[in-house]
Amino acid sequence: MRPAPPLLLLLPSLLLLPLLLALPGLVHGGGWDLIAEFAGAAFTPSLDPVVLQSLLAGLWVTVAMALLGWGTSLFGGLLLGLASSRTVWRTLVGQELPAAVIRRLLAVPRSIHELLWGLLLLQLVGLQPAVAVLAIAIPYAALVARVVSDLLDTLPTANLEALRASGAPAPAALLTALGPPLLPGVLSYGGYRLECALRSATLLGVFGLGGLGTELKLTLQSLEFHELWSGLWFLLAVMLLLEAGVGLLRRRWTMPRRFALHQPGVGRRGREMLLALLALLPLLLAVGWALGVDPVALGHWQPLPGLGSGRWQAVLSLPWLQLVGGTLVLTALATGLAVGLAPLQLLLAAPWPWLRRLVTCGWVLARLWPPPLTLLLLLFVLKPGLITAALALGLHNLGILGRLLRESLDDQSPAVQEALVAAGSGPRLALFYGGLSGVARSYLAYGAYRSDVMLRETVVVGLAGAVGLGSQMLESLSSFAWDQLAALLVVYALLTLVGEDLSDRLRRRLLRRA
Amino acid sequence: MARPELAVPLLELQQITVAGRDRPRLEALDLRICCGERVALLGASGAGKSTLLAVANGSQAADAGQVLWQGLPPARSGRQRRRQRARIGTLWQDLRLIEELSVQQNLNAARLAQWGWPRALLNLLLPLETAACAEALRQMELDPALLPQPVTALSGGQRQRLAMARLLRQQPSLLLADEPLASLDPRLATQLLALLLRQAQAPRALLLSLHRPDLLVGFDRVIGLRQGRLLFDCAAAAVDGACLRHLYGADAAPP
Repeated sequence: MRPAPPLLLLLPSLLLLPLLLALPGLVHGGGWDLIAEFAGAAFTPSLDPVVLQSLLAGLWVTVAMALLGWGTSLFGGLLLGLASSRTVWRTLVGQELPAAVIRRLLAVPRSIHELLWGLLLLQLVGLQPAVAVLAIAIPYAALVARVVSDLLDTLPTANLEALRASGAPAPAALLTALGPPLLPGVLSYGGYRLECALRSATLLGVFGLGGLGTELKLTLQSLEFHELWSGLWFLLAVMLLLEAGVGLLRRRWTMPRRFALHQPGVGRRGREMLLALLALLPLLLAVGWALGVDPVALGHWQPLPGLGSGRWQAVLSLPWLQLVGGTLVLTALATGLAVGLAPLQLLLAAPWPWLRRLVTCGWVLARLWPPPLTLLLLLFVLKPGLITAALALGLHNLGILGRLLRESLDDQSPAVQEALVAAGSGPRLALFYGGLSGVARSYLAYGAYRSDVMLRETVVVGLAGAVGLGSQMLESLSSFAWDQLAALLVVYALLTLVGEDLSDRLRRRLLRRA
Repeated sequence: MARPELAVPLLELQQITVAGRDRPRLEALDLRICCGERVALLGASGAGKSTLLAVANGSQAADAGQVLWQGLPPARSGRQRRRQRARIGTLWQDLRLIEELSVQQNLNAARLAQWGWPRALLNLLLPLETAACAEALRQMELDPALLPQPVTALSGGQRQRLAMARLLRQQPSLLLADEPLASLDPRLATQLLALLLRQAQAPRALLLSLHRPDLLVGFDRVIGLRQGRLLFDCAAAAVDGACLRHLYGADAAPP
């Protein structure tokens, strides 16, 4: 008795039940008037020139940090990706071992969330713009490297062998045989990473690393909702522009030739991409200069207390089981919320196009809004704790998963759904049988990947107090308990590595059966 | 039962017009189909056959004119409308099977108009109404052992029969088919047409579009459509070479 794909899709939503059951008990008395005031302020953002000017300045810093972090990670990630590709090593030196070693090493920077990198670097070199840039660049480069090497190593190598057999030198053969098929994957992933970088830069700002995030947090804490919404609308505009721009370039550069309206000249795409790449470098340099990134200042490290003096007995007596358990439960609940709710919302809205549009707008706001700010907002009406943290984390990821689900539904032919409707089934059942069947496996596979991301992200909702490793880490960091922090980092990294492996297996299993 | 001419027609189109880009895709078209009638719809590509079938099954609204199903116009309420649509079964040219589901789940998908959510969910978990599904397969000369198979495991001919079995499982009174034989080899086409014609007896009726005048045996009536207009509507025996030449004439088919 194996559930069929559309039913499989609804399974994660079972995890919504504990959330729903726990929610009434979490509501504390006050705060609803604040929520109402917050919601109302959406339509009356502050138009005070002073406020707008400071918000725009913050927005510029955030965008600049995102752009620099992304650009650095893209170049670094491409190089590291080549360096950790089995195919590349085999072709160049006839030996795959170095690839495996580099790949293992890259797992470490990848397993630590950019927020932790940011806070660590902040302690190390003090507050400067380069901190946020590096905090984004380090884990992102490792992520890009993994995707690039995975893409490279799954490409068919028949072409490469043919070129080598005809005497082409190894680098030229690699570039010619694997470059073009690699490009679409790298482009679409690179574009996606730019959107992620903007979200990360905003998030880092919330934790005090500058930019719009800092402004948003300050206005929320001082309950200046009108000013908060001015900032949010700015952020929304930038994010929508970015998503549209990335989508445009992706379609222009990765569209198969036969669908193109005009036959582009030979090599036009290559020339355009080269130009864009060449334009990107001076742009990044100019942005870095304008932002005041100073590579020399990064060299001045503040002395840290040696770990030799750590009180390891006290470290051991931390409630480890509870910390790890809390982190896992938080991840599971957030995953259930994010993966399970999106299809339910679409099913609910199926008969009414206007409701569907409203749901989509909600998703835009959800992915725009950094999780710690959602958390602060939720804390107006809910008690702090695991469930509240899971809500904040889950809602943010719901916005990302929902968009993916809608896009894959839009890409699919509506024929089967139309046939079901013509045979008299209602719009909801038609969507369930005819629409969700086709996207179930790929959506769940992405959900598995996303659960791994959420495990890493649990630290950003650590503010909710006592919700696993993330909260403990923020606490140790603020009390300069380096011994605790080191131990926590190791455990967290191990946990995310195991989580990554599990989610990878699940994803491959889901996709294999498709 | 009264003579078919006196009974309420299963499908009645009155002065149907559907606008197109250059010229109307259908223009002032009248058509009545009664119980037990098996009607073939002939016409060159672009003559409006698919549009006519889409108007007949309610997935395309007419710009002018009236569609009546069993004497009633399209219902206003969603529930009544769904009940009307459940009485009309369509065999699509691209079959429109749900690739991710098993044969039995696909057959049961035809019952979704009657089923609520509980049974729709259960169908994805357990084999429901196995006897009825097996019977539908048998009528299409398919082995009931195929029921638990995924649809993707079937051959082209089996898929075609499965789509027809799903049509039976819906228990419609009006059967519509949009060039169901277009992509089949001649032997298979003849076999499947015979199966379909056998199912389309009173109280059912069949309207089937095709572009092979050699397969008209077994139909009661033939309708010729040219440039969105009704060219002829006569008994199958009355269709002759002159008729067809006029229908498929060089000036009829747009490039």
